[in-house]
Amino acid sequence: MGSERKPPQTKVLILASLSGGYRGADSVGQLHTDYPSNTYILPVISAAIFPESFYLNSFEQGIDAILVMFSGTDSPFKGSAEKTAEIINHAYALMKERGIDTRRLRLVAICTVCTAAFLREIHRMEALLEEIGPVSAELSASPAPEPEPQPA
Amino acid sequence: MPEKKPKPETPATFARLPKEAPRLGVYICYCGGNISDVVDCERVAKVLGEQPDVIVARTNMSMCSDAGQAMIEEDIREHKLNRVVIGACSPFLHEQTFRGTVSRAGLNPYYYHHVGIREQDSWVTHDDPEGATAKAIRLMNAGLAKARHLEPLEPIRLEAKKHALVIGGGVAGLRAALDIAERGLKVTLIEKTPFLGGHMAQLESVFPTDEEARPALHELIEKVVHHPKVTIYTSTVIVATKGCVGDFQVQLRPVARGVRGVAPGIQAAIEACPVEVPDEFNYGLTRRKAIYFRYPGCHPPTAAIDWEHCTLCGECAKVNPKDIRLEREMTTFQITVGAIVIATGFQPYEPRPGEYGYGEYPEVVTLPQFIRIMAMAEDAGELMWNGHPVRQVAMIHCVGSRQVPGVHEPQPDGKVNDYCSRVCCTATLQATADLRRRFPQIRIFDLYEDIRTYGRGHEEYYRQASLSGVRFLRFHTEQGPVVIADPTGEHPLVVKVNDYLTWGEELEVPADLVVLAVGMMPGPIEDLIDVLKLSPGNDRFLLEVHPKLRPVETAVTGIVLAGTAQSPMNIQESCAAAEAAASKVAGLLSQGLVELEPFVAHVDLGRCTGTGACVDACQYEGAIQLETRVIDGKEVQRAVISPAICVGCGVCVSACPNRAIDVQGWTLAQYEAMVAAIAAEIPALVEVEA
Amino acid sequence: MAEERLRVDALVVGGGIAGMQASLDLADQGYHVALVEREPSIGGKMIALSKVFPTLDCCSCITTPKMSAVAHHENIHLFTYTEVKTIEPNGGSYLVHCVEKPRYVDTGLCTGCRQCEYACPIDLPDPFQMGLSAHRAIRVPFSTAVPQKAVLDIDHCLLCGKCEKACPVDAIDFTQGPQDLVIEARAIVLATGYETTPRDAKAEYGAGKLSNVIDGLMMERLLAPTGPYLHVLRPSDGKEPDSIAYVQCAGSRDETLGVSYCSRVCCMYAIKQAMLLSGALPMADITIYYMDIRTFGKGYEQFYQNARAMGIEFVKAKVGRITEDEYRNPIVRVEIMEEASRVEERKHDLVVLSVGMLPAYDPRPLYGVPIAEDGFVEAACPNIAPPMTAQPGVFAAGTATGPMDIVDSIVMAGAAAAEAAAYLERHDGEAKTYAGRSISMGEKEAIHA
Repeated sequence: MGSERKPPQTKVLILASLSGGYRGADSVGQLHTDYPSNTYILPVISAAIFPESFYLNSFEQGIDAILVMFSGTDSPFKGSAEKTAEIINHAYALMKERGIDTRRLRLVAICTVCTAAFLREIHRMEALLEEIGPVSAELSASPAPEPEPQPA
Repeated sequence: MPEKKPKPETPATFARLPKEAPRLGVYICYCGGNISDVVDCERVAKVLGEQPDVIVARTNMSMCSDAGQAMIEEDIREHKLNRVVIGACSPFLHEQTFRGTVSRAGLNPYYYHHVGIREQDSWVTHDDPEGATAKAIRLMNAGLAKARHLEPLEPIRLEAKKHALVIGGGVAGLRAALDIAERGLKVTLIEKTPFLGGHMAQLESVFPTDEEARPALHELIEKVVHHPKVTIYTSTVIVATKGCVGDFQVQLRPVARGVRGVAPGIQAAIEACPVEVPDEFNYGLTRRKAIYFRYPGCHPPTAAIDWEHCTLCGECAKVNPKDIRLEREMTTFQITVGAIVIATGFQPYEPRPGEYGYGEYPEVVTLPQFIRIMAMAEDAGELMWNGHPVRQVAMIHCVGSRQVPGVHEPQPDGKVNDYCSRVCCTATLQATADLRRRFPQIRIFDLYEDIRTYGRGHEEYYRQASLSGVRFLRFHTEQGPVVIADPTGEHPLVVKVNDYLTWGEELEVPADLVVLAVGMMPGPIEDLIDVLKLSPGNDRFLLEVHPKLRPVETAVTGIVLAGTAQSPMNIQESCAAAEAAASKVAGLLSQGLVELEPFVAHVDLGRCTGTGACVDACQYEGAIQLETRVIDGKEVQRAVISPAICVGCGVCVSACPNRAIDVQGWTLAQYEAMVAAIAAEIPALVEVEA
Repeated sequence: MAEERLRVDALVVGGGIAGMQASLDLADQGYHVALVEREPSIGGKMIALSKVFPTLDCCSCITTPKMSAVAHHENIHLFTYTEVKTIEPNGGSYLVHCVEKPRYVDTGLCTGCRQCEYACPIDLPDPFQMGLSAHRAIRVPFSTAVPQKAVLDIDHCLLCGKCEKACPVDAIDFTQGPQDLVIEARAIVLATGYETTPRDAKAEYGAGKLSNVIDGLMMERLLAPTGPYLHVLRPSDGKEPDSIAYVQCAGSRDETLGVSYCSRVCCMYAIKQAMLLSGALPMADITIYYMDIRTFGKGYEQFYQNARAMGIEFVKAKVGRITEDEYRNPIVRVEIMEEASRVEERKHDLVVLSVGMLPAYDPRPLYGVPIAEDGFVEAACPNIAPPMTAQPGVFAAGTATGPMDIVDSIVMAGAAAAEAAAYLERHDGEAKTYAGRSISMGEKEAIHA
C-alpha cells in the first residue's frame, strides 16, 4: 500500500434523468469520448424527488460538486422541471449559509443525444474544482452546523 | 395543527429496510474486453467481495450470455442470494434481461440493481485504467448500498371493466364505438342531443371523394346501432364521475324523448305544434317545430320534443296521445366503465355581429349556412338568395381562424383564435366547385391569406377552381376585407380588399352573397371538463399528453380523445383519430386488467402527519389525497396515494417535511446510501488511487 | 435446411414511426406481431431528424423510447435487415416469405462495441448522415440503432480481416448467407413510408450538382446534435452560412415532376429548421420563399407566427432557377408575388430545398394492394375507414397512405391497429395463434435497445 497518498480526489456526483441526461451519458459513451473518472452518474426518475437538504448533506459527506442533469421542458412529468429548479434555488441558499460555493451545484437540461453539452458541463465543473478545490476546505473553514434535526 | 405521532424508533434511512438480512451477489461483466480492457474487473470483484453482506462476487466474459445468466441463477439458488447487483453495459440494454434472470431463479425481479460501467466508465476512461477501476468500484459499491435498501415490488394491477363509454354521437364517436365494440368490448355511447350523426349529417358531400355524406354516415350508424356490444343513449349527459382507469363510475342523466317508437301519424302531430324556432340543422336558415325530426331519414327515426322551447301546450299529444308523453324528467343512472372516449366535437365559429357584415346584411352567411343553402337550392336556373338572383359570390377565408391580437377583436374569454382551422380551405373550395358545377354563370371571388389544401386530393379542388375561372385575391391579416353595402345599389354588397397578388391595391368586389369560411371551435363542454377534470389548451381544444408520444390520451389515464374535441380535423382525420383512440382503449381494457409500473409514491403512515404539503405539490389531480383516519381514538388526516393515477414523478417526496413519502424503487434512503458509498473512503481503494 | 416458420396475428411491414406505433398498439392489445424492417435498424426516417415541430422536442428523445418499447415488447418479434420476398394466401391467413440479409456479424455474440468499426480501413458515405460524412464498411448503423449490432457492407469490404481480429467476441462471420424465414400472419399492416424528392429531380434547381443547395433531410442532420459536423456548415467549403434560403414546394405541387399534391410537412419543417438555425447561427439571415404557408396542424399556425416574430423572412415567390457564382454561392432567381410583382436574382450562402414526399414502395405486386394516381396506397373507404385497403386483412398506416407528419402518422398507425384488431376478431375462426417456435426468445435477447 502506498505510503504517500495523493491529495484527496474530488468527486462529482451527476444526477441524471432516465429520460434525458442518463441516455445522454450513454451517447457520450457510444462516442468513446474520454472525460475524467471522478464522475459518478446516478439515474433518477426525476430530480424533483430530492429536497434541498439532500444536496447539502451530499456536500457534507464529501461530494465536491453536483450536476443535476434533468430533462428540462422535455420532462415527461408535469411541473417537475419547475419544481426541481425551485428546490435547487433553495439549496443555493442553504449552501451560502453553510459557506459552500454555490457553483458546486448546477442544474442543466441534457437530452438523450446532447453529447456536446454533457461534456461541456463536465469539463466546466472539473475546471471549477481545479480552481476552488475540494469541498472539505470550505466546510472546515466555516463553523460546523448544528446537527440536522431529524424529522419527526 | 394536525395530531403528531410519536417518533418512530428507527431513523429515517432505515425505516423501510426489509427484515430479511441482505445476501448480496455481485457480478462484473468483461463485455468481451469492452469493460475489462480498461477496468480491472477481477480487482473490482475482489474489493466488492470484501464488502459487508456480499456472499459472492464474480466476473464473466459476457454476463448476458446463457452461461453468464445460468451462473447467476445457480448462485441465487445455491447461496440463497436475495439481492443481485450487476455491473455491465447500460441498463437500457440489459436491465430487462437480468430482471428475467433473477426472476427465473425465484427472486423478485426488483431485487436486482444494474450499474452501467461500460458507456459510463470503460468507454469514457480509456487512458486511465486505474481511475476507471476505482470508478467502477465506487459505482458498484453505491449499487450495493442501494441493493441493501431494495424492496420487492409488484406491478400495480387493476381490474379493468371491459366496457367503454363514448361521449358524443358524431362521426368520431360512432367510429370509436364501432372499433371498440368490434374488439369485443362493451360500449355505451351517449349523445347530448336527441339525434345521432353530428355535423357530418349537415354536409351533402365529403371531400376529397365527394361521396354523399349522409349515406356514408348512415351506414356507420347502422353498424353501431345494430352491434350487440353497443348501447346508445341519446339526450343524455354525464353529471358525475368517480374512480380511475379500469373502473370509472359514471352518473348519466337522460332526458325523455317525449315520443315513443315510429309513432304513426307523427307528421300530423308535428304540424299541430304551434311553436316555431330556428332550425339548427340548417344553421337557423329555416324554422322547425318544438317537436321535430332533425332531418328526413335521421337516426333514431323517432321524433323528439325540444324541451327548451316546448310550451307543454299538448297540441301534439292530442293528435297522437298514444306515443307522445310530455314528461321531461328521467332518473339518473350509473354505469361503470374502464375507459372514456371524448368525442364531443366542434361548433362552427359564430362571427360576432358586424364581423364582415355578418348579422347586418342578410347576404353575409357562413360556410356551413352556404352548404345548407346549396343543399336546399333547386338546380334549375338561378341561385336565389334573399329575393335576388346571385350573380357574384365572394368567399372570405380564415374567419375566426388565424386571428391576430390587436387586429382581431378578442372572443368573450379575452382570447383570439390564433389557430388554423385546417378544414375550411378545402371545404370552401369544395363548395366553390359545387357552385361552379351547378350555377356556372355565377362569378366567384376567393379572398384568402394562404390556401391550405394540404390533404390527398385537396389540391385538386384548388387547381380546378383556378382553371374554372375563380378569381383569387390575397389579403394580409392586417388589412382584412371590409364588407359594406354597395353604394351603387347594383348588388347588395361590396367587398373591399387589398389584393397582394397584384400590387396591394384596393379592389372593390361587388357581391350578391358573401360566404364566410368560419373556423372550428370546440363544442361547449365546460361542464364535462369540470366533471372529468380535463385540461383544455390555450386554443380551448382538449389537450393531449404529448402530440407524438401519446397523441390521443389525456393527462387522466383511461380518458382518450377522438376527433374535433382535440383540434380541428376533417372527417377522414376524425375517423383516424377515433380509431387510434379505440386502439388505446382496447390496449387498456382488452386484457381485463390494467398493469402499471410499480414506481409510484408510497406513504409511510408511521411518519405522515397530514400536513398536506404533498397534495399541494402534486400536479396530478387525485393522485394523492388526505383522508381522515382514526388513530388512537383520534381523527387525523393522512395522505393516501391512488397508484393508478400517480405517475411517480416524486415532487411529493421533496415536498414532505416528514420524509413520509417515497417513490417505490427510487427511495431517498437509497440515494442517500448511494451518495454515502460514493463519498466513502474504501480502504482497498487507497491502493488503487495512490 | 428446415424452413423456420413463425405464426403471428399480424405482420407489420416497416419499422419507422408508423410501423413501430402500429406494432405497439396491436401488441398492447395482446396480439402477437412480427415487425419486419429492411434496414439494419428500426427508427425509420424519424430517428435521423433533429428536433420535431411544433414542440421542438429532441427527436431522438421521442423516438428512442418507442424503439426500445418495440424491441422489448413480449408480443413483438422484430426482424431487421429483413425483406419480404413473396406472399401467398393460406386459407384466412397469409404466408409471408422473408429473407434476412446477412450482416456478416453473429448478432447473438455482437455487443455493439464498435471495435470492428474502428479497425475497418474503408470509408463510405454514411446514409444516416445523408452522405455528409463517412462511415466504415462495417459499423453499428448509428448511435441509437436498435438492435445495437454491427453490419458489414460486403460490397465494399476488402476482406482484410481487420474487423475479425478486432472483435473481442468473434462475432464476425464472412460465411454468413441469407436466412429464409416464413411468417404466417392473419393480418398485415403496411407501413412502408416515404422517400423524399431526389435532390437532382429538378434541372432548374441545379440537378443536384450545386454543392451548396441541399435538401431538408440534409439540413436535419446539420442541425442534429449527432450530426456530421456538430455545426451548421455549408458543404462546399465548410463556411458558416450567413444567408440561408428555403425553397418551398421543391418537388410538391409541381406538375412538371408529376407531383401535383402538397407534401404537408415541408412548410412546418422549413419553419422549424429556420427557427433552429436562428438559434445555431444567430447572425444569419433566413428567407423562406413560398407559395402558400400551410401550417394547418395543432399549434402549427402559432409556431409560424412565432417564426415571423423572430425575424425569419417569408417571401411569397416562385423560385424559377438556381445557379451559382464562382464562389459556389447559390443564386436564386425568384418571381416575387408580393405587392409589386417582379423577378429578382438573390444570392445566398446556402439554399435548402424543401423537398416533398414520394411513395417509397409499390404494394401492388406482392400484396395486391392498389395505389392511387399519386402512387400512395389507395384507401378502400378513405373517409370512414382510412387505413383499410381493397385487400382483405391488409391495412396501411403512416406515409404509405400519403404524405403526412409524425403526429398524423402515429394517429394513423393507431387507426390501422384498430382496423387490424377488428379484422382479427371478426375472423377469429381458429383459436388465437401464438408464436410457434422459440424464435421469440433468441431474437429478443439479441436485441439491444
